Amino acid sequence: MRRGIANVCLPLGILSALLGASAYCGSEVKQSEAVDFFERRVRPLLVEHCYECHRGVSAKGSLHLDSLAGLARGGVGGPALNVEERHASRLLSALRYESLEMPPRGKLPPEAIEVVANWANMLDADLISSWSEEPAALSETNSQQPNSPGGHWSLIPPEQPPPPEVKQLAWCRGDIDRFVLHKLESAGLTPAADAAPRDLVRRVTYDAIGLPPPAAQVAAFLADPSDQAYERIVDTLLASPQFGERWARLWLDLARYADTKGYVFQEHRSYKHAWKYRDWVVEAFNRDLPYDKFVVAQLAGEQTPDPPSVAPAAGFLTLGRRFLNNPHDIIDDRIDVITRGLLGMTVACARCHDHKYDPIPTADYYALYGIFASSEEQPHAELPPQLVDRPAPVEPVVFLRGNPGAPGPQVPRRFLTCVAKPAAPAFSHGSGRLELAQAIVDPKNPLTARVWVNRLWERLLGRGIVATTSDFGVRGAPPTHPELLDFLATRFIEQGWSTKKLLREILLSTSYRQATTPASATAQLAGNFDADNTLLWHAHRKRLDLEQFRDSLLAAAGTLDLTLGGAPVALTEASPASRRALYGLIDRQNLPAFFRTFDFANPNTHSAVRARTLSPHQALYLLNSPLVLDAACGLAARSVPPGAPSADPTAESPARIHRLFEFAFGRPPTTEEADAALQFVNAPSESAESVIPARSPWNYGWMRTDPVTERLEFINFPHFNGEQWRPGSEFPHPEFAFAQWTKQGGHPGRPSHPLALRFVSARSGLANISITLRHPHDQGDGVRLRVIAPTGQVLSEVSAHHGEELATAQLEGLIAGKPLDFIVDCRDADAYDTFELFVEVAICDALGKTVMHRSPDDFHGPEAPPLDRWQQLAQSLLMSNEFIFLE
Amino acid sequence: MLSRRELLSRCGMGFGSLALGNLLSEPLAASPLTSAGFARSPELSNPLLARTPHSAPRAKHVIHLFMNGGPSHLDTFDPKPALKRYAGQPLPGETPPTERPTGALFDSPFKFRKYGQSGIEVSELFPHVARSIDDIAVIRSMHADVPNHEPSLLLMNCGDARQIRPSLGSWLVYGLGTENQNLPAFVSMCPNGYPIQETQNWQAGFLPGIFEGAYLDTQHEEIEKLIENIRNPRTSMRRQRAQLDLVGKFNRLHSGSGRDEALDSRIQSFELAFRMQTEAAEAFDVSREPQHIRDLYGPGVQARQILIARRLVERGVRFVQVWHGAGQPWDNHDDIGVLHRKLAQECDQAIGALLVDLKQRGLLDETLIVWGGEFGRTPTVELPKKGLNDGKINGRDHNHYGFTTWLAGGGVRGGYVHGATDDFGFRAVENRVHVHDLHATILHLMGFDHERFTYRHAGRDFRLTDVHGRVVRELVA
Repeated sequence: MRRGIANVCLPLGILSALLGASAYCGSEVKQSEAVDFFERRVRPLLVEHCYECHRGVSAKGSLHLDSLAGLARGGVGGPALNVEERHASRLLSALRYESLEMPPRGKLPPEAIEVVANWANMLDADLISSWSEEPAALSETNSQQPNSPGGHWSLIPPEQPPPPEVKQLAWCRGDIDRFVLHKLESAGLTPAADAAPRDLVRRVTYDAIGLPPPAAQVAAFLADPSDQAYERIVDTLLASPQFGERWARLWLDLARYADTKGYVFQEHRSYKHAWKYRDWVVEAFNRDLPYDKFVVAQLAGEQTPDPPSVAPAAGFLTLGRRFLNNPHDIIDDRIDVITRGLLGMTVACARCHDHKYDPIPTADYYALYGIFASSEEQPHAELPPQLVDRPAPVEPVVFLRGNPGAPGPQVPRRFLTCVAKPAAPAFSHGSGRLELAQAIVDPKNPLTARVWVNRLWERLLGRGIVATTSDFGVRGAPPTHPELLDFLATRFIEQGWSTKKLLREILLSTSYRQATTPASATAQLAGNFDADNTLLWHAHRKRLDLEQFRDSLLAAAGTLDLTLGGAPVALTEASPASRRALYGLIDRQNLPAFFRTFDFANPNTHSAVRARTLSPHQALYLLNSPLVLDAACGLAARSVPPGAPSADPTAESPARIHRLFEFAFGRPPTTEEADAALQFVNAPSESAESVIPARSPWNYGWMRTDPVTERLEFINFPHFNGEQWRPGSEFPHPEFAFAQWTKQGGHPGRPSHPLALRFVSARSGLANISITLRHPHDQGDGVRLRVIAPTGQVLSEVSAHHGEELATAQLEGLIAGKPLDFIVDCRDADAYDTFELFVEVAICDALGKTVMHRSPDDFHGPEAPPLDRWQQLAQSLLMSNEFIFLE
Repeated sequence: MLSRRELLSRCGMGFGSLALGNLLSEPLAASPLTSAGFARSPELSNPLLARTPHSAPRAKHVIHLFMNGGPSHLDTFDPKPALKRYAGQPLPGETPPTERPTGALFDSPFKFRKYGQSGIEVSELFPHVARSIDDIAVIRSMHADVPNHEPSLLLMNCGDARQIRPSLGSWLVYGLGTENQNLPAFVSMCPNGYPIQETQNWQAGFLPGIFEGAYLDTQHEEIEKLIENIRNPRTSMRRQRAQLDLVGKFNRLHSGSGRDEALDSRIQSFELAFRMQTEAAEAFDVSREPQHIRDLYGPGVQARQILIARRLVERGVRFVQVWHGAGQPWDNHDDIGVLHRKLAQECDQAIGALLVDLKQRGLLDETLIVWGGEFGRTPTVELPKKGLNDGKINGRDHNHYGFTTWLAGGGVRGGYVHGATDDFGFRAVENRVHVHDLHATILHLMGFDHERFTYRHAGRDFRLTDVHGRVVRELVA
């Protein structure tokens, strides 16, 4: 944190006031503008022209131009900046060749000098002095020599700190809690109480395996919410095969996993065996493959003792986008995945110039580049592409400004110089890929363990100790609990790089078990200065991510298929798979909207955390998507109590409601909820209820005449064989004979069984009807068609025999939802009565807009039936906040 | 401890001075936009709410008419009398390398004439557009980097030819949100399928997926086929209303007396979605336009999608991209005389109508129209090649050295020609405008300083214009 800012903003000089300040801070505007301008315009000039000499410990004249502090302090010759006489400042006069002549190699162009002058004009004495007093924290790390180990916190190897002293020792279940509580106590805050058992068991189950707990498990924990019972639950979850499915997804986000190559010109689009990498990752998590081995397998598996067992792991590097096979971009992608993913370092920034903030020179980038340029890909019949060393390694050179056409000095293949020992030898074994992997998982590497444990923490607690989980550099967020981070990292290594052991320790902590609702006094106090809850005075409320959400829908419906592993399945097709979302096909180039809508990780590039957006498109999905509607039907079907159906269905309603809540939320309804649900299912139906605009207006069936009342009753044909609607699967049908509807027309049944085509409009208005009826045969007696209005009135009647007849009709006030029937009978005999029928209904509404419906164009098979009240109720539960938020 | 950025935002530093900061990047919890409509909740808020840019914008909406494949500037908006004079002769000096071999200079089969008070010359292909020439700034000195479709499309759309970068539309929606929550913020329309490079043309890149363009296949007219999940085939709206009321009741019982913005926002999003079902259907239904407006735009799918574009910006949609068709329709390596005429006939009347229609509604001032392709075409004739344009010597190859893009409305200086290509139209030579400069200018018109409009990703602040770009002030009215 900058002291300069703090001094201005902090009336009390404490963090709370700083964070709570909402007043406009004038100096701060200046501060931010000057810093912004410096970083954007001035620093690039200095990097290019001055850093060679005025940077780091050996800066000439002790003038450090690589930090604001250095600029503000000046060098042995005096201050570099002079506010009283800006233009006489040493920096500017040297650049202008008025005093010293800098840079000595040649005067900068006037525009460049102008940039510096403009910046100097933005400064005032307060600003400069605030910078010059600045402690090492932010600016000094910039001044590290690229080749020396950095002073930045993340580059200093962690040492295990002793757990701090705390007052409320009773609150702590483990060492983790002492670190968290210490921070809270220092800020005068009280942690939240333990979450309610029901919330806790739901939270831990989703966090560990990505699925909701079965109602029985919730009930068992409610009966015995002891620490021992909780511990047993945690152990069971960590041992379940679904554990790996959940945690593999975190890794796959980092690995920009997909089943296709992205845009390609002519080659095959898919990585046919990508899923074997996915399954390998799942399995590695399930058997708790130590993280160091896990990493080495993915970087240089073919050089480990048992290559075949880890061969699928090569997919980590080889399943990226193809960039139209541009080798430089493919390697850049691999460098990015490794350095951000495993080291939390943004090395790809150094492709064109030295990293502007972190101690990563371009030479480091090309040192890694050389490793991958010395490796080549081999296709494999049953695995993701494999990476092997080339026979002769490439001696890399720096590409000036990232341009392969501008080769610069040669660099050795080696590890990042900010981590490796200063005199660490260059890699010498083949490409150096194995040595790279070993350097990454070296217990002395200050980054690897920290980065991984921070990701695990972020997943469970909702926010990383380092919020920028893939950027541990100078511009990344500083750790909120640095000692805790080091404690976790060292402990992780100590426990043999076991992910499960570390997760277990976090899950058992009191810190993790806090309720989302803070202690009331703390809420008032902390709300002022830590609204984002970085100190963890309560649990973050979390929303189900895409995978948890989709799996939960299917789980509620009772249709979730828990098969493990295998080739990917389509999640968004007409009949979507009921497998876990992890197994969904990820097509880089045509990622279905569902993925984007629910914040899926962009599979094109390493993804540190999922976005958490909220949009009406998510709501539309819940309101209307086939998957949600089917899940609602499944849930409603499950809610029917087992056993013989009751004679009075309404007597079953309370039990059904009870079951609905259990399946959806893992708990029974409250009295108020049960009352509201009951009222919903019992409310009288409304007349226009049946009108659903998106449904086809055409219905295919026959017209039954009631023998007693002689009233006509439309009955849908129940059977559709892909082309014809029929009264049953048997054909000819024993009762109806040849009765059927087709796209073009049909065949009437026996004289007592006339066909009927029912048209139910979603709009009211003036209906103009045109009919073409054709009877091709010269035998038989032809067919007759009658058009019947909703009132029963016959609007038109026409018969055809061996020829074509036309008819028209008009109905002025057709009302939405009311049927128009087209009845076709066989006259006296049903032989030779195949007919063709074309019906067009044009409805002109009150606004003058006309909508046309043509029977052959709209011909369709069965549509899913409208949702009944119970299904609608079930869907309401799936749409509610409780379903999607984790307390 | 908070980052400097978070800290500044807490002290009342809003949007403009921080160049949007990390609007939604990691950590999401620290969204600085509290002053611009973003909830302070650590969880969720609607990132599509309308926001204000750095400075007063000249334009609020963009319609990008993408003539994909590369329309010939020499046959449309950049007349070259020298081509007639020297037709059949080789280009003096060295012919710059393009995708395929080209031969002698090839005259335009189309006639040009002057239009409007400005007297700017336009070919017979675009007579309807030409009627509004006094509202148009024709940039005759565009240039890009390479003569291939894929990189040039990405450069034009995303500012980078190869890497994963957000598209212009995504940037604008990230920066500005959108004015109508009942419609997608960024719509990309293309009839019958995708252009090449497919969805990458409207990708959100490293921005959250919600900023990605919503693709609509405009060969369809039914709303169900245009917007996913816009209709429910199994429940009436009346019953949905009852369902939402019940959900509201459950939500209130669930959250008790405590208020939480994430929970509240989600409730609001359902109400928006409910309204969207009717509003979106209405917005895409061009049959609701009076006959004289439909006649103005003319027949065909181009007219329909361009009219939809007008209806969308009228309703507050931020960015509408209209692609001519699947693949690369304007890529006329042969038969350019016939094919360019056909393509122009498909869209000229509708584009002309769009300009007139927006103007008469007072919307042209706030709507920026961009017309152009990913590059132009060579003044030299493409030589026949087996399997490609076998036996034909009547087309033009790709040309990224010089081409035309025009802008209209949205604060653009009308009746103005900017820059020029050489005598034969091969290279931009005068007041050259690179694609990055075009982007800088578009962002400027939308109220953004392209150097300050950034997004933090992978440890670095990214810009649409990367380290390039210059605002072309002359184009601004």
